[in-house]
Amino acid sequence: MNALHWPHNARCAVVVTVDFNDEHGILTQEPRIAGREKSLSVWRYGAKRGVDRVLDAFDEFDVRSSWFLPGRVAQTHTDLLHRIDAQQHEIGTSGYRCENFDAHTFDEQRQAFLAGQQALVDTLGRRVQGFRSFYGNWAPGFADFLRSEGVTWSSSWRGDDLPYFHLPDANANAGKVMAGDTPPLVEPPLHYELEDEPYFVYNLSPAVPVGQPRIPSYREVLANWKQDFAAFRRFGLCFVLRLHPELIGTAGRIDVLRELLAEMRSHDGVWFATGAEVAAWWRQNVDGNEPGHPVEVFARHREAAR
Amino acid sequence: MEYVERQPIQTAPRWPEGHRSCVALAFDLDGPTGDAMLNGSIWTNPSYFTLGSYGPWRALGRLLDMLNERRVPATFFVPAWVVENWPDQCAAIIAGGHEIAYHGYRHEAFWTLDRDGQRAVMERSAEVFAKYLGMQPVGFRTPSGDWGPDTIRVLMEAGVRYSSSMRGDDRPYLLHAEGIAEPMVEIPGRWELDDYASLAYHRNPDFPASLDRIASYDATLENWRREFDGSHRDGLCLTTLFHPKVSGKPGRIALLERLIDHMHAQGDVWFATCRDVAQWWLDNNTSGHAQEFSA
Repeated sequence: MNALHWPHNARCAVVVTVDFNDEHGILTQEPRIAGREKSLSVWRYGAKRGVDRVLDAFDEFDVRSSWFLPGRVAQTHTDLLHRIDAQQHEIGTSGYRCENFDAHTFDEQRQAFLAGQQALVDTLGRRVQGFRSFYGNWAPGFADFLRSEGVTWSSSWRGDDLPYFHLPDANANAGKVMAGDTPPLVEPPLHYELEDEPYFVYNLSPAVPVGQPRIPSYREVLANWKQDFAAFRRFGLCFVLRLHPELIGTAGRIDVLRELLAEMRSHDGVWFATGAEVAAWWRQNVDGNEPGHPVEVFARHREAAR
Repeated sequence: MEYVERQPIQTAPRWPEGHRSCVALAFDLDGPTGDAMLNGSIWTNPSYFTLGSYGPWRALGRLLDMLNERRVPATFFVPAWVVENWPDQCAAIIAGGHEIAYHGYRHEAFWTLDRDGQRAVMERSAEVFAKYLGMQPVGFRTPSGDWGPDTIRVLMEAGVRYSSSMRGDDRPYLLHAEGIAEPMVEIPGRWELDDYASLAYHRNPDFPASLDRIASYDATLENWRREFDGSHRDGLCLTTLFHPKVSGKPGRIALLERLIDHMHAQGDVWFATCRDVAQWWLDNNTSGHAQEFSA
């Protein structure tokens, strides 16, 4: 497609997202870690130190980011949530305890979202606009459910380097994206190479990652990210960074983030936006997915496979 | 220690017009096909489906632009399912002067199929290529790397003239099916030139199984460059097992650009499709030093 014209004639968009899962993400991912205090403290370090460092870095480079919290973290770390909110970052949810939706029925997925939503409403007094499925998937019908709950964007799927529209599940045909009264669900999609977890997550036992790879060179990870950013800027794309405060918010790694943000800020024409802002702009300026979009191909074949 | 230029130990193959070495760039345009599609689990895993779809949907177009800017041909091994679902994108491969070749229907592991099963895959693939692209491929790369004892006969009966499936050499060689006079050319690849080995990463299903880190882009490029430098020094045939969804991601296209520019800078590299390499090998290298294998 032709190069997009982002707001303010920007060449590219940057959405910085943070998953503040405390211990709940790893408990879902590696249940054998339950009760192992030393190992759990690796993940609790985010609330202890990482969140503040990440917030300071965002403040230093004037970045407004989009955070996802499971509802339980809103209850256990209410003070931190208020601090994130007070600095004008967007707050979204990823269920109540970072549920693995692959192991849950549609109804259980709905309940997990509603519990997360309610915890954030209780804390912030408003509903969230953003949702991230912890493992990336959901059951047919869930996108419609999210829309009915006032959610305007998700960042859970992949397959593109520009945002796209989730199809209404009940009517998964091309061109029907705008049907219905609620706005369509916009997806600024993920890329593993733009996530800190594949590079940096580490625990000895239980082993995370499973194969016990080495901790990589920070210099090389930063170099990769700079090259990724340069290319997203070159091609006019939507760069979705996915961070975890317990990983990137260490005393040593925060400088990797700071150097990356400094590099991004050194260029004109980079639109830093929250997920909700990107979703609103996308809805106003893009009519629908291009024909043959992966979400349409998927919907067509999934229907046939059911 | 002083570096001394050494002559290759073995006789180098001959390449057209006195070119020193041959580069047959090749991409496996798998899209979302593969094990998860074959076992049906992909239909409850949209995150993984969309990850794979990035190849034909976004990466391919940029790769074609990059190749066309540099005027280098390439071969795309494409599961026919991908052609069915993204026919316009695949037609652009042909329009750009590149080659399309067989890679299964949904990336089937040929060594797990009996003869009829393999024939069915080839027949269905041929129908798709004829219907959507109006062409019949002559090349084949085994999905998931291995084939069975029946495979060479199935391929030859399906009109395949060359394969790029094996790993055990650094130049083409000939394969013979029992009872068929005409040989098949094999253009072997190397894991060192497979982008999965350094850059691919996904969870659920996990790749790599260990969830080892994504490698440094700079270190990866240097490895690839060193592999080319050695191949060029010794006058060999280098092909690649690149995947648009892996090395056609935005940040990695620059690696391919720099690699190809480095190759171009040598001035005497024969860039060719695998099809042209196979034909050249049949016409020029089938006697004398060209080692022959039976399959």
